[in-house]
Amino acid sequence: MPLTDISVAMQISFTYFTVLYLTGLGGLFSERSGIVNIGLEGLMIIGTVTGAWGARYFTDTLDLGLPWGPLLGLLAGAIAGMLFASIHAVSTITFRVDHIVSGVVINLVAVGLARFLSQAFFGQATQSDPGGPHLDRIAIPLLSDLPWGLGRAFSNLSPVVLLAAFTVVPAWWALNRLRWGLRLRSCGENPEAARSLGIRVSPYRFEGVLLSGALAGTSGAFLASEVIGNWREGQTLGLGFIALAALIISNWNPVRLMFFAWLFGFAQAIPLRLNDAPLISALPPQFIRMIPYVVTIVAIAGFVGRVRPPASAGKAYEGAGGI
Amino acid sequence: MTDGDGAGSSGSPPRVELEGITKRFPGIVANDDVDLELRAREIHAIIGENGAGKSTLMRVLYGMYPADGGRILVDGGEVKIGSPRDALALGIGMVHQHFVLVDPFTVTENIILGEEGESVLDMGSARQRVADLAGSYGFRIDPAAAVEDLSVGEEQRVEILKALYRGAKILILDEPTAVLTPSETKELFENLRKLRDSGESVVFISHKLDEVLDIADRITVLRRGRVVGETTPSETTKANLAEMMVGRPVLFRLEKPRTQIGPPILQVEDIAAQGKLDGVSLTVRAGEILGVAGVEGNGQRELAEAVIGLRHPTSGRVVVDGVDIAGWPVAEIRNAGVAYVPEDRHGQGLVLDMSVWENAVLGRQDDRDMSSRLGVLAIRKMKELAARLISLFDVRTRGIDAKASTLSGGNQQKLILARELENDPKLLIAAQPTRGLDVGAIEFVWRQILDQKAAGRAILLISAELDEIYALSDRIVTIYEGRITGEFPPDVEPERLGTAMLGRTVGAEVA
Amino acid sequence: MATRTIEPRSRVEPNRSAWVENVAGQLLALVLSLTIALGFGALLVLAYGENPFDVYGAILSYSLGSLDGFGYVLAIATPLIFSALAVAICFKGGMFNIGVEGQYLVGMVTAAWAALSLGFLPPPLQVVGVLLAGMLGGMLWASVPAVLKVTTGAHEVVTTIMMNGIAVSLLAWALNYPLRFSQAPVGQNVDLRTDEFPETALIGDMGRVFGITSGAHLSWLLLLAIVLAIVVWFLLRRTRLGYEGRAVGSAPGAAKAGGISIAATQLRLFLISGALAGLVGMQQILADRGYLGTNYIAQLGFTGIAVAFLGQNNPIAIIFAAILWGILSRGEVALQIETEVPREFIIILQGILILSVVITYQIAKRRLAARQLQRAGAAGALEDSAALADTDEPLSDVTPVRREEA
Repeated sequence: MPLTDISVAMQISFTYFTVLYLTGLGGLFSERSGIVNIGLEGLMIIGTVTGAWGARYFTDTLDLGLPWGPLLGLLAGAIAGMLFASIHAVSTITFRVDHIVSGVVINLVAVGLARFLSQAFFGQATQSDPGGPHLDRIAIPLLSDLPWGLGRAFSNLSPVVLLAAFTVVPAWWALNRLRWGLRLRSCGENPEAARSLGIRVSPYRFEGVLLSGALAGTSGAFLASEVIGNWREGQTLGLGFIALAALIISNWNPVRLMFFAWLFGFAQAIPLRLNDAPLISALPPQFIRMIPYVVTIVAIAGFVGRVRPPASAGKAYEGAGGI
Repeated sequence: MTDGDGAGSSGSPPRVELEGITKRFPGIVANDDVDLELRAREIHAIIGENGAGKSTLMRVLYGMYPADGGRILVDGGEVKIGSPRDALALGIGMVHQHFVLVDPFTVTENIILGEEGESVLDMGSARQRVADLAGSYGFRIDPAAAVEDLSVGEEQRVEILKALYRGAKILILDEPTAVLTPSETKELFENLRKLRDSGESVVFISHKLDEVLDIADRITVLRRGRVVGETTPSETTKANLAEMMVGRPVLFRLEKPRTQIGPPILQVEDIAAQGKLDGVSLTVRAGEILGVAGVEGNGQRELAEAVIGLRHPTSGRVVVDGVDIAGWPVAEIRNAGVAYVPEDRHGQGLVLDMSVWENAVLGRQDDRDMSSRLGVLAIRKMKELAARLISLFDVRTRGIDAKASTLSGGNQQKLILARELENDPKLLIAAQPTRGLDVGAIEFVWRQILDQKAAGRAILLISAELDEIYALSDRIVTIYEGRITGEFPPDVEPERLGTAMLGRTVGAEVA
Repeated sequence: MATRTIEPRSRVEPNRSAWVENVAGQLLALVLSLTIALGFGALLVLAYGENPFDVYGAILSYSLGSLDGFGYVLAIATPLIFSALAVAICFKGGMFNIGVEGQYLVGMVTAAWAALSLGFLPPPLQVVGVLLAGMLGGMLWASVPAVLKVTTGAHEVVTTIMMNGIAVSLLAWALNYPLRFSQAPVGQNVDLRTDEFPETALIGDMGRVFGITSGAHLSWLLLLAIVLAIVVWFLLRRTRLGYEGRAVGSAPGAAKAGGISIAATQLRLFLISGALAGLVGMQQILADRGYLGTNYIAQLGFTGIAVAFLGQNNPIAIIFAAILWGILSRGEVALQIETEVPREFIIILQGILILSVVITYQIAKRRLAARQLQRAGAAGALEDSAALADTDEPLSDVTPVRREEA
């Protein structure tokens, strides 16, 4: 099993880390403010179709070229995600719909809406033309010069990967060192306490959910424009839920999330690059494709007893027994 | 209105005046044209039964509810209090009965929440400010401790500090002693007196007449939303207050039936449960009521759950009528003759979304006559049983199909009691059975429990209300931090009981 | 001393008006949400430059305007009923089965295998065998998240979705290996599918009986679906499992204290749900096509969730909700033929409908609850508005019982 294969698998894992971390981080802000958000997948989907459109539109049609075109494409994904997330926010916060029910609705509507948008943007319902524009690839200095093929893991990466990794800094700082973060967390742990001190809970929760939309939307846009090159129906592959699983296992901690986002990202790489690995190569190709999902299930089943969700996050994890 | 001459109030102009406050909720008038006056440097007690409107009135003052009628004056000027922020801006702070603290946060974070100063937090200087504030009032507290590690008394101090940090000059305390031990209550009262002497107005909501007579400078009595009296401790007696609260002379003691005490039905031997129970042993015999007295949160709930099977002790034995039931599922323990009236009526007692009749048969649905072997329910039989229970226990409901959530607390408790007693249990576990009930319901429940004793049942009564313990028990044990700290006859002096509730183990005394 | 010293006071009559009120409230909410959705839809149609009445008229005429059209609608509704029932039964027990999608894929695989292998059975038994195989496949697939939930507490939303992903691969594998088209020359690029199922394993055309064209493929599965809906209703309302399931779903703490085993109840409900899910794919492989191929119709699991919400998890209402959904889906054809509005419009309409349903039902539920409390208050027992109004418990009007002793 040549080192280059593992290297490339690592490279792929960084890419999927980006997708999972951004989405997971979005989920983190939403859930720590008290709104359970299982609609991350749907938010990503909206991000993918809008991002694919945006990258093309800003780069080619408006002729802004690189890097502005793709960057604006990512921004388009973020904004679209935010707008779509506002549906979840309004239904859970204003109308007090059960959080999981609303999340499921978001996922349902997203699929249809994506088709609709695709038709409007691309003239086709289920995909856009391949080969869309993307940011120039970079190589991480020093690390990309590692010998024996190891350097490949750190080369040819989209700059968004680095950006995503660095978001842990402002994220952690905002949560723990800003007044806003303290109040946001109080809304998720004990909104009664917040309310009794004159803090209005709804605005913080809205902000948390909208942030989740922006981040998940960016993540989707990244996936479509930077990773794959076009929009295709179903390309999110359940990554939104895998991000959710990573969030849960990391105990809603932005630093821990980095590790688990990467770990699940690596699981994604296995069917793509490591099919020749020992053990794995013995499996039929379709079974290899199951690996990321199996890894997620095993992880969630193993860790579930040891995590502590934000105390007031939805009625979620108890079940609803009816709408 | 009597001109009070209590220890603190000095005839100074009123700090706060409530004039004609009216507040309605769907179906009831919680406050009906209430007038109230709070002066500086006084401790003013507002008393009344559960449901008299005391909490509602103060929540109106604190801006949590808008009043439907009347006005509020602070320092002589009329004000509009639309939210707790407005109240705090006027110097009014409130400590609720159920604390609103963020458990994973520290003391300091809880205190500064909402009043942080700048958008970037400076925890170091915040901690210093909290320490200084606590020191100036003589409160003992560690600013860096996490709230979830604090004792109840310490949590209450944090709540008070929250209000003081915001410059509260008027401090409202809603049933503050409900969760305190006698010595924590003493410390609280000392602190309150210090606050009063330094210029604060303190409002003390309670239904505990002894405490009120101890601490208050003036007392206002509410009944069914109206003010029915205003007085001072020197001008009234406990009986007098009680009568004002309820409107008629109240029986504090019921006649306990004399019964033959039979063999032990429940033997709890040295059970432990992680963190909450630390070696509890007790025995309850047929025809006997054992009262387990203790401030809530000392393992009572875990004890009850261990006996009914909701919790499996990590060590020790639970023996019911000679049979070791350790590890048995709840259904089998119930079949062995154990009935459970839980302290958490809504969480463990009833399925609120289901109808009254469905709740009446909960636990009976797999009885031979209630469902066939294939699992089909005999609905008519179930409804008949439900109708009988409801009628027998006088549960007021619009109909057996109405949702259990539409019943009042007292009627819900009666429903639970009826259901649990229907099976002729050998052992009845009654945990905080009259919490939140009005006097009429309390008398009913007490009567039922005594009837069960007369019928030869064993009753494990767990209660934080000393009145209840004294009224019903044949023997009393005290529980503190998961251990039994003493055993007493039913006529033990409250001070000794209180001491044991606090943890000073007393030599066991046989009744 | 008497053990009962109270005279019975209240007379208890069964009270039907609460039930009627609930149903009326839900219907009103449904009508309201339909109106909202159609309203937004109309705006969108106008944006396309068409007349909403024309568009809605076309949709209606293609679905309800002819017997054949209605046949198509019912055929679309059939799998949705199974799907929604599967979702609803779990919901009542407090669980979210988002895995119907994967469960029916596996059901199709097991049913396909059975169709191709049970030739030795007499024809009527063959069909039964195939259907059972489908249910078993779904149940098997549901058992993994179910067992994980009751043993480790792993939340079923994440695990079922993962199982969905795995199921897609499993189906692909099955079509590539064990169930491969037996006449496919090796190495050639053929549309992946199984062999054709024997005639005797298929479900017959029920539409013929009513004069509906066989193109609609309205099969006897619809009858099965309606029967199962009634069975599910009966299960929920009239059996022990349904009672215990509803208790667990609504108040697990009280259920447990009452002696109900939460794990056993939830497991049973989840497995039944999986079995129902297994039937979702039967319409396409046994009635429409007669084989299983990579061109299978997906998304039916998620659509089932939408239909379940539309029917507020009531088994009987679900039948009508599925028909409503079928009418809208059939509308895609109408749009393509009669108008210039793209078929994606229907998807948007369905999306808006689901959103408004979920929100209006929530509002209706709370209004109803407040009204019922209010009425209970007028009768004199209202301390629990406390829970709703967050206040201290007000006094009830119950006067204490007089006892004759001193």
